[in-house]
Amino acid sequence: MTSGQRLSSTALHAILIAWSVLALFPLVLIVINSWKSRGGIFREPLALPGAETFSAKGYAAVLTNSDFPLFFGNSLIVTGVSLLLILLFGAMAAHALSEYRFRGNTLLGLYLILGIMVPIRIGTVALLELIVDLNLANTLTALILVYTAQGLPIAVFIFSEFLRSVSREIKDSARIDGLSEYRIFFEVVVPLVRPVIATVAVFSMIPIWNDLWFPLILSPGEDTRTVTLGVQQFIGQYNVDWGAVLAALSVAILPVLVMYVVFSRQLIRGITAGAVKG
Amino acid sequence: MRRRTWTAGTSPSDAFQGEAGAVALVSASRDAVRPAPGERAASRHYIWVFLAPATLIYTVFAIYPIVESLRLSLFDRPDGVVGGTDAFVGLANYARLFGEPYWVDQFTNAFANNLVLFVMHLLIQNPIALALAAILSTPTLRGAATYRTIFFLPTLLSVVVVGFIWQLILSPLWGITPDALAAIGLGDWFAPWLGLESSALTTITLISIWQYVGIPLMLFYAGLLNVPEEVIEAARIDGLTGFWIFWKVKLPLILPTLGLVTILTYIGNFTASFDLIYSVQGGLAGPDGSTDVMGTFLFRSFFGFQSQQGDIHMGATVASMLFVIILVGVGAYLFGVQRRLRRYD
Amino acid sequence: MATLELNGVVKRFDDTPIIHGADLSVGDGELVVFVGPSGCGKSTLLRMIAGLETLSDGQVVINGERIDHRPPSERGIAMVFQSYALYPHKDVRGNLGFALKHAGVDKIEIARRVDEAAAILGLESMMERRPRELSGGQRQRVAIGRAIVREPDVFLFDEPLSNLDAALRVHMRVEILKLHQRLGATMVYVTHDQVEAMTLADRIVVLRAGRIEQIGSPLQLYREPDNTFVAGFIGSPAMNLLDVTVDQGRLQLAGQPIDEIDTPPEASTLGLRPEHLRVCDAGTGLTGQVVVAEHLGGEAIVHLALPDGQVVVAKLDGDAELRPGDALSLTLRDNGARHLFDVKGLRLRTP
Repeated sequence: MTSGQRLSSTALHAILIAWSVLALFPLVLIVINSWKSRGGIFREPLALPGAETFSAKGYAAVLTNSDFPLFFGNSLIVTGVSLLLILLFGAMAAHALSEYRFRGNTLLGLYLILGIMVPIRIGTVALLELIVDLNLANTLTALILVYTAQGLPIAVFIFSEFLRSVSREIKDSARIDGLSEYRIFFEVVVPLVRPVIATVAVFSMIPIWNDLWFPLILSPGEDTRTVTLGVQQFIGQYNVDWGAVLAALSVAILPVLVMYVVFSRQLIRGITAGAVKG
Repeated sequence: MRRRTWTAGTSPSDAFQGEAGAVALVSASRDAVRPAPGERAASRHYIWVFLAPATLIYTVFAIYPIVESLRLSLFDRPDGVVGGTDAFVGLANYARLFGEPYWVDQFTNAFANNLVLFVMHLLIQNPIALALAAILSTPTLRGAATYRTIFFLPTLLSVVVVGFIWQLILSPLWGITPDALAAIGLGDWFAPWLGLESSALTTITLISIWQYVGIPLMLFYAGLLNVPEEVIEAARIDGLTGFWIFWKVKLPLILPTLGLVTILTYIGNFTASFDLIYSVQGGLAGPDGSTDVMGTFLFRSFFGFQSQQGDIHMGATVASMLFVIILVGVGAYLFGVQRRLRRYD
Repeated sequence: MATLELNGVVKRFDDTPIIHGADLSVGDGELVVFVGPSGCGKSTLLRMIAGLETLSDGQVVINGERIDHRPPSERGIAMVFQSYALYPHKDVRGNLGFALKHAGVDKIEIARRVDEAAAILGLESMMERRPRELSGGQRQRVAIGRAIVREPDVFLFDEPLSNLDAALRVHMRVEILKLHQRLGATMVYVTHDQVEAMTLADRIVVLRAGRIEQIGSPLQLYREPDNTFVAGFIGSPAMNLLDVTVDQGRLQLAGQPIDEIDTPPEASTLGLRPEHLRVCDAGTGLTGQVVVAEHLGGEAIVHLALPDGQVVVAKLDGDAELRPGDALSLTLRDNGARHLFDVKGLRLRTP
């Protein structure tokens, strides 16, 4: 490497590190201070919890005064089930669109993909009425149905694009072997789309997990609150008790962080592998 | 019966090129399994089984509500009686929206703010994302994977968490920001930005940018990685160095990605901006409506907030206007931008 | 134009050597072909000359100047890639002139060189088209034109014809040969196809597993391969390499003595080219049974099984009506040669 190249490499890393600090610093701040007493938080926000300032009172408040495990479980159920349905139904529809020839194939494809450009929130007014009429207000089911509907268009799009490029031969050979179309789908096609499942999952999962709008509108009840909504309400209640609030935030962040760090390589490989070029 | 085999060379990365992939689906269907002689499409029931769940859920919970919301905007409840039957009022609600000061002031305020939000994202978030992606995609960079993981972290966080973290950091009570600014000599500069009418929108927008840089970053990154390696080598032999390779070779080739990112930013800014603003500034999007955007305005309109009564029909009307706003943007993208950006394969 | 020298060039990835000390001297205007099986290191060697890979040891010298520390654009080389590597967002004219434009060459000079290259390659009618509107052969010509325009000292070709179909490949081979005659430029050409190597090269460099096995003109390699690898690699169908023993100075194949000439006792392998064999009277020469007969019309490729199980391939006259099971006897033609190799595969000088 010439010295000119080495210099600019340092500059590049400097930029990257600067942004990394900017990205991480708020998180680090939260977690550090969640373990400090009120005094510690105020007087020396940037310091690590020391012997004098250490306090787990915030966490105690969170765990006793609110139902975080419940909220977290709700988020998990809603996101998990929605994701499952999106992947399954999306793959099924994409398979039918890309594999079989039938009248209306094109039109149906266009119809399903329309949803990418038209956000579902626009229909919220009628959606709420529908949910209420179906007796699904304040249920996780309502959220699951809505999120599935929201996530299907892009799943169908990504899957069908991918399936297009897969050779037909392996499916034809399965047909010759006598497999039913259903078995072909589950045993041949599904394993084939593995590379793009991560892409679809990431695109779908984040908007569901972090969503505030639909939990607030469709299922604000105590039992059905998601973690996003739960944290928001908790902050509203406890906004003076910073220790508790910080602890709540940490509790909300931590599981996601852990899962992300563990799965980050697959996630990013999924995004960049079969990814959208534009 | 001759069957054409689909040749290699198409990949998911071609996905967003061409008119929303619709052409792609058309071509695929030409290739697909034809019914055997004597077998009609109807008897191939498995096709419908595959299609039914997605189509059903999508139609009932996404399309129908949108259509119904649009329909509701053409109706009103006479005498404001809840539970009474709706009466068709044509465009009366729209007249109210644009006629009554109470409504039109809120609408124009929300729309203007939203526009500012969008432009700021366009001019700040996307260039930053592009620059970071460009640096990350240089092949000799060490630790690229670590950086990627870090950069995407804020995007994963709940918007509530993000909003509150920044509220704390920017709070005059906590002292982090004032002290930090004082340390670099800009102590006088500090103000409770989130609480001031003049700066609240800008501050919230910057927070939103901080969080969501990850998404365009990933899309640009994927796009840049897709530039064929040999084209870059040819450029090196032709004498181009790192920056110039980016500027003259990579950038022109990811223009389609740029277009896509722009329209996604547009749609997201007009719909998803609600979450951050609601959790930081509340349903009234204070101070004094300076952070009100279409999302919060819509929420208030049909759901009501504090003293403001909810009105389903006015809410539907606002939703329809939001729909129009988005359609205009998408239309401009599909017909203006997409047409001109040709594929390079 | 230019001379090229490789002195003790070594390439290691981590600690594993990929190229073991390559030495080569290319004269001005020579077309040298690197040929060898996949993974032999020919592309790596080419990329090291280009500057796309660094050297672990050794030197690359062009026109007497050491250039291996310079970036690719300052070495006086131009490269034609296997996948053409054209800039998708530029038209043909833009592709041809891109490097010059970036280097700040003035517009008139750019136009002159671009038009000249276009004329040589027959591209004048498609100057405004984009790569995606061109056929494979046309794209290849644009890639070559891009190299010509830079007026390099050395042209580098990295398997440029591999992505073309067979008929087009034959055609482009001739075009490249004519181009070389016209420009008189020094060229290094990498391919895995020995037919391309034989038809194009002034000299061939045969590589295997990172080592240069032999350097020589096509005819030299054909007539005097230094070892069994080169012997079997050059020529199609491949040279027959048969196990033999020596008994009292006489060559023994399949238990039969087959020669009157004094044979050195170290001889372990006998090389006979299929095209050097002809049918002879039954019972004389190499006798065996036909296993396979491939009739190509003008010639027939016959596989003959010897009593000890070894198979000899012969290229015979197309009229030979031979079928599996027929008995056949073969002998060397008058202009035919026998090649002897020792137990390590190295050539034995024939007396």
